[in-house]
Amino acid sequence: MLLSHVVHTAATEVCFPSPLSVLQGEGPRASCGAGAGQDVGRSCILVSIGGKNVMLDCGMHMGFSDDRRFPDFSYITRNGRLTDFLDCVIISHFHLDHCGALPYFSEMVGYDGPIYMTQPTQAICPILLEDYRKIAVDKKGEANFFTSQMIKDCMKKVVAVHLHQTVQVDDELEIKAYYAGHVLGAAMFQIKVGSESVVYTGDYNMTPDRHLGAAWIDKCRPNLLITESTYATTIRDSKRCRERDFLKKVHETVERGGKVLIPVFALGRAQELCILLETFWERMDLKAPIYFSTGLTEKANHYYKLFIPWTNQKIRKTFVQRNMFEFKHIKAFDRAFADSPGPMVVFATPGMLHAGQSLQIFRKWAGSERNMVIMPGYCVQGTVGHKILSGQRKLEMEGRQVLEVKMQVEYMSFSAHADAKGIMQLVGQAEPENVLLVHGEAKKMEFLKQKIEQEFRVSCYMPANGETVTLSTSPSIPVGISLGLLKREMAQGLLPDAKKPRLLHGTLIMKDSNFRLVSSEQALKELGLAEHQLRFTCRVHLHDTRKEQETALRVYSHLKSVLKDHCVQHLPDGSVTVESILIQAAAHSEDPSTKVLLVSWTYQDEELGSYLTSLLKKGLPQAS
Amino acid sequence: MESAEDWLVESLRLYQDFHAFDLSGATRVLEWMGDKGILVAGYESLKKNEILHLILPLRLSVKENQGLFPERDFKVRHGGFSDRSVFALKHVPDTRLLVTSGLPGCYLQVWQVAEDTDVIKAVSTIDVHETEGSLWSRVAIFSSAAPGVLHGVRLSSLKVVDLESQKTTYTSGVGDSELLSSLQVLDADTFAFCCTSGRLGLVDTRQKWAPAEYLGPSPGSAGGRWCAAAGGRGPGPSIASLGSDGQLCLLDPRDLCHPVSSVQCPVSTPSPDPELLQVTWAPGLDLCLAISGFDGTVQVYDVTSWDGMWGRVDPLFTHRGHIFLDDNGVDTAPLVTTHTWHPDKPRTLLSAASDASLHVWDWVDLRASC
Repeated sequence: MLLSHVVHTAATEVCFPSPLSVLQGEGPRASCGAGAGQDVGRSCILVSIGGKNVMLDCGMHMGFSDDRRFPDFSYITRNGRLTDFLDCVIISHFHLDHCGALPYFSEMVGYDGPIYMTQPTQAICPILLEDYRKIAVDKKGEANFFTSQMIKDCMKKVVAVHLHQTVQVDDELEIKAYYAGHVLGAAMFQIKVGSESVVYTGDYNMTPDRHLGAAWIDKCRPNLLITESTYATTIRDSKRCRERDFLKKVHETVERGGKVLIPVFALGRAQELCILLETFWERMDLKAPIYFSTGLTEKANHYYKLFIPWTNQKIRKTFVQRNMFEFKHIKAFDRAFADSPGPMVVFATPGMLHAGQSLQIFRKWAGSERNMVIMPGYCVQGTVGHKILSGQRKLEMEGRQVLEVKMQVEYMSFSAHADAKGIMQLVGQAEPENVLLVHGEAKKMEFLKQKIEQEFRVSCYMPANGETVTLSTSPSIPVGISLGLLKREMAQGLLPDAKKPRLLHGTLIMKDSNFRLVSSEQALKELGLAEHQLRFTCRVHLHDTRKEQETALRVYSHLKSVLKDHCVQHLPDGSVTVESILIQAAAHSEDPSTKVLLVSWTYQDEELGSYLTSLLKKGLPQAS
Repeated sequence: MESAEDWLVESLRLYQDFHAFDLSGATRVLEWMGDKGILVAGYESLKKNEILHLILPLRLSVKENQGLFPERDFKVRHGGFSDRSVFALKHVPDTRLLVTSGLPGCYLQVWQVAEDTDVIKAVSTIDVHETEGSLWSRVAIFSSAAPGVLHGVRLSSLKVVDLESQKTTYTSGVGDSELLSSLQVLDADTFAFCCTSGRLGLVDTRQKWAPAEYLGPSPGSAGGRWCAAAGGRGPGPSIASLGSDGQLCLLDPRDLCHPVSSVQCPVSTPSPDPELLQVTWAPGLDLCLAISGFDGTVQVYDVTSWDGMWGRVDPLFTHRGHIFLDDNGVDTAPLVTTHTWHPDKPRTLLSAASDASLHVWDWVDLRASC
């Protein structure tokens, strides 16, 4: 009869599957406007990792005027409060399809937790949100929209982060921002809980342009890399050719005596285009004046101060450091110039022609075919910009005045996104275990999926909107081994072989998120427990008519001759010991010709004990 | 040496439109699929190559309001993987099938461009019996209700195989082992061939082998390698033959024995890779052709009034984009691997180079602006 015993074993790694799930918020690409390619997506992704819940971006769908423009936050949690459920919200950059629904989410739906973003994003977001709010409410008369005060209250919850700075959201959750290029302040984020991590790219760009560098990430090897796939199936035209197109249009217009209006948002793209024009005006020895409206100047200076420290971080190659207004050919605009005859180029705000100086100038110049307006970015519905990009040539202005648009309208896209090649580059840099492509159509990306899977030996997922992807990960949990235990193992001789695992016995103590492997004695000591001894006893029946003492003697002689390597002793009281195993002979209570051998051992001697028992069961040799 | 920026300024007056792309791998093929899509394929020997079906940027396809279309990018509509290098690729018109030829292994691969997904899948092969391992078969397609694949490495191995049944419907039946450099289907029954020696001919598949032939440049001339193309528009010679020493011959199909003209093009010779030589006729312009394969340029020639012309000529236009936009640095200047004309836009061409660049350019005829 054997008791099975408890063996304390511990491995240095404990593995259990820990699901990592990603819920993608609604974000179909929809085009609005007659073939004007005003494509708009909306980003909002929920990640559950190591028991933490993080929301990535909170974009508005500008194609819709009703509730469809907001993500459906009830997907996140049906019962609990968002503040309790979400550990944090991260915003990647200031584009409205990534932050447009933020004030609605935090102030109207209700979220009081931290919102993380980079400093430039923090500075620029509220301005874009306020602009957007004005257009929606004042121009389109929308109800159920967030207010200016809500924008302010929302921004109070923002915590700004620096690039490559590890931010502890709480004891277990940490985040880190990486440079993403694309627009000022755009970042990719790494979210880490224990040894599990996810990287979310937001929008990024792998080729540098004149004022921003290329995205960069280290070999952080996240379990999952989440990247936009909107441009994944494109091959981008080179930056030079885009610039060339812009230059050609501007050049042709001024050559024929026309005026070029370029409505811009205060920063980034405007500077890029100015640097470009300045370079080529010089080369081509052009005389037509280029102006920069004053509203732009003030804002630009302010953002420029933010810009400089930001762009000093990890920017590659060509960033031209200059004071914005050290241009030789570009001067400050005075509104009287708009009436001057002759060719000129003017950069003016706001960017969507919805109010202010750019709209004023537009109204003056729209009537001539010689003039041109170049829209360098997406325009929200309801703005004059949006209307002319949709092909509208007759506009109804205030006081029912109709403005006929005869000037040339050009829509140019300067915003930089990573294409198929760029995505491969980023995956190569980060070395994730899995890749998740959002905002694409699975059937249209089978080839890209295969390409990624083959090239990098990773799994690639392409969830539909509203779908959840669950990934199994094998997190490793570090366990500290006590020095005493290690030393004892070493003392047993035989050095460890790197190729052959050796079984180590110890006790695993889990305390305060800490794992330690110690010897049993130490564990008992720490836990204040007394060690129990387990002793097994087995009865072996022998046929022997002699007296117990003689039986014992026979047992002794037999064992002594068989077990040459062990210490076999015959004690004065008649019992026999083999190491620490005790054998006693007794008479059977009912049958005098049968003797009962009591074999008893401690559990440490299990092996020997079992062996002895089976040996004795075979019987004793005939005595001489 | 002009810098890239100087060239870009120059380009403002030289081109209407100009787009430059970077493929993930260089291509030696540019094959149209419809009028909005092109096919490219890699030719590297030790890795998996991609076959891509690219849709042209929207603004190149729209007729009006071009300015309202900001998209300047190619869309990867379909993609597939090939273990072999692809040296020739043909689309079977009115189907979703492609035929490629390459190395190693001298057989043709048939592919299917999927309808509901974005995958290009290998579906079957066509055997080409050729013992020499380094030679690959030229390919052309007879498009009809039952498409036929014309292929061959040599004159003797010229065959037409029915795509569906894989039965041979035509063989040249000659023992001539001259190597082929170009094959071109002209109509339902005729095709043109050109051998590396410069010998070319027009074959009617309804008859036993009796092509109208031009036997090639006189045996005394330096040799080199030749390719040819038929299809010139407008009155005059409609066959052009290009040699690796820069010679360009024009021939009239009605009298192949006597070339109409033979000129010397200003190119750097000898061509570093004569297999890349290419001459094409403009589908939208009269008597206009383009050549490439000598260096990083594509040259366009107006061959009107070349009758009886001999000696040196100058190109009407030279595309130098691949040299000036080469981001790879000093090492080796890129070599143009192939070029093609846009079927509808008269002066738009596409060209690809060994540095994986792909350009779409619309050149300005500077004579017209005088």
